[in-house]
Amino acid sequence: MAQAAPISQPEVELTYEVPEQVTLLNDAWRRLKRNRIALVGAVIIGILLIVALISIIWTPYPVWLQAVGPTYQTPSLKHPLGLDQAGRDILSRIMGGALITVEVGIGSAIILSLIGIPLGLIAGFYRGKVDTIISFFINIWYGIPDLLVALILVFVLSDALHLIPRGVLVIIIAFALTRWMDVARLVRGQTLSLREREFVEAARMGGARDFAMLTRHIFPNALGPIIVQATFAIPAAVLFEAFLSFLGLGLPPPTPSWGAMAADGYHGMDFAPHIVLAPTVALSLTLMAFNWLGDGLRDAFDPRMKR
Amino acid sequence: MQDLRVQFFVSEGTVTAVDGVSFEVDRGEIVGIVGESGSGKTMTALSLLRLIPEPGRITNGRILYGEKDIAQMTDEEIREFRGNEVAMIFQDPMTSLNPVLRIGFQVEEAMAAHSRFTNQQSRDRVVPMLQRVRIPAAKDRVRDYPHQFSGGMRQRGMIAMGVSNEPSLLIADEPTTALDVTVQASIIELLRDLSRELRASVILITHNMALVASLCNRVIVMYAGRIVEQGPTRAIFKNPQHPYTWSLLRSMPRMDEVGHERLVSIRGLPPDLSKMPPGCKFHPRCRFRIDKCLTEEPPLAEVDPAQDARCWVLMKNIPNPEAEALK
Repeated sequence: MAQAAPISQPEVELTYEVPEQVTLLNDAWRRLKRNRIALVGAVIIGILLIVALISIIWTPYPVWLQAVGPTYQTPSLKHPLGLDQAGRDILSRIMGGALITVEVGIGSAIILSLIGIPLGLIAGFYRGKVDTIISFFINIWYGIPDLLVALILVFVLSDALHLIPRGVLVIIIAFALTRWMDVARLVRGQTLSLREREFVEAARMGGARDFAMLTRHIFPNALGPIIVQATFAIPAAVLFEAFLSFLGLGLPPPTPSWGAMAADGYHGMDFAPHIVLAPTVALSLTLMAFNWLGDGLRDAFDPRMKR
Repeated sequence: MQDLRVQFFVSEGTVTAVDGVSFEVDRGEIVGIVGESGSGKTMTALSLLRLIPEPGRITNGRILYGEKDIAQMTDEEIREFRGNEVAMIFQDPMTSLNPVLRIGFQVEEAMAAHSRFTNQQSRDRVVPMLQRVRIPAAKDRVRDYPHQFSGGMRQRGMIAMGVSNEPSLLIADEPTTALDVTVQASIIELLRDLSRELRASVILITHNMALVASLCNRVIVMYAGRIVEQGPTRAIFKNPQHPYTWSLLRSMPRMDEVGHERLVSIRGLPPDLSKMPPGCKFHPRCRFRIDKCLTEEPPLAEVDPAQDARCWVLMKNIPNPEAEALK
């Protein structure tokens, strides 16, 4: 007690291997790898992404080019998926459609996260009046028939006000504006529970700013569920775009949207089913893949599922 | 700190958690605040940082830090004050570190929240800080996550965060409760050394009398939101005057008194803060009470120079307390 202890220790050289770091993300990744069905989903999504990227620089025929052969031609060596009612190469159009699908899916997930995450964080962190107002809007929004509103939004934004040309962007925005509540509600709940955790309290006592507490302490701890929620938003957005385009209210022709392609082939379904089959199979596979991956991620991020 | 009162306004009425607490902490001094759970020790400490949880509020008193009144500070001033001038170390290092951030980053964050150091300085100070709290192989451990640390190392990490801004007052809220005994000793030693090196004052909040004896210069004993006794550690331990202090000390096993096999426990529970007994707040549990205790609350009066106690009886007036207590 009489003598002051040394201030610092001499530098110690490590002679042993430091074990590999186990972070939340690579722990989740380990569990995800063991989940077969999620891996199948991931592979399908991987193929989708690759096809989409290839379609930017190359497709067998231009996606809009008509009469590359006889209309309604069934699959052949030259055209593996056949030709549609306007004589366009269906394989090329499926590839182009993959790019649209990826854009819509990922774009929507990003935009709705950008809306939902900050609102959820603010509502959960400040509580009180702010929370009441934001929760009120979340509940109101849930009550609105989202498909109808999205339809109207697409129409108003691009046709009536000419704010955004009718295309992928307007679809993404319409979708995000009607479906941001799931993420906001999830983040709010997470924030409500995380803000009471001791490390957040400790940060506050250390004089951390609100912004630092939200971005460094609360958000990263809520990241797992957010990723899962965003993954499930992707197939919903993809389906929404296909649905709009099928009705002729989505992307204008000759954009190779899978929904529009299914609509194109609809009238010839009894004698040329390949025109409808190709985009619907592609769409189904994509939706299933994202749902499988989402389920896998949910299990992987849930520590209680740890085996 | 002068005449502090903290009240909680709950639906059932007003609960006074801290009532009329006044004390001073000099630079470099180590002061222990002891008392049972719910005696107001943590609330007293939290009010120093103006972080009384809702629906609590400071309703009376002033807290002066140097010349500045903490209650008068703007939100930005108090934020800059927390962690910079006064740092707090928590009971449970398992939950007080963010599980998804690296230790080194968290220490750096603690400095980045304040303007004492530039970003570059903060970055450079991380490893020396961890060395200073004696984390072995600090250079390699800065990139570790909290779950890779042991309990003692996490507490060292917390201390590193606490002292990284070189605060002049360190509040340690039961810093060793969650740790095992050998680790406790080294953490206590670390706190003592750091306080000496940084010339920082320490307020140690605990119910462990042994800890107080080994670390503190001065002791404040709290009961039911009041200070019941305060004085230099030596005087309190050798010559406790309030029956509560005396009972606390008698309820603690001691190595040097082999003869006493029975420990004296304090009967009953501390009073419900919303239904406080009249008179002295300790009288329902006191073995030495007189009639006056039931009706009139004693003042905190000087019993010796530098030692105050809040009692009508005082232990020095009781000839054989051992026998009386064990009756």
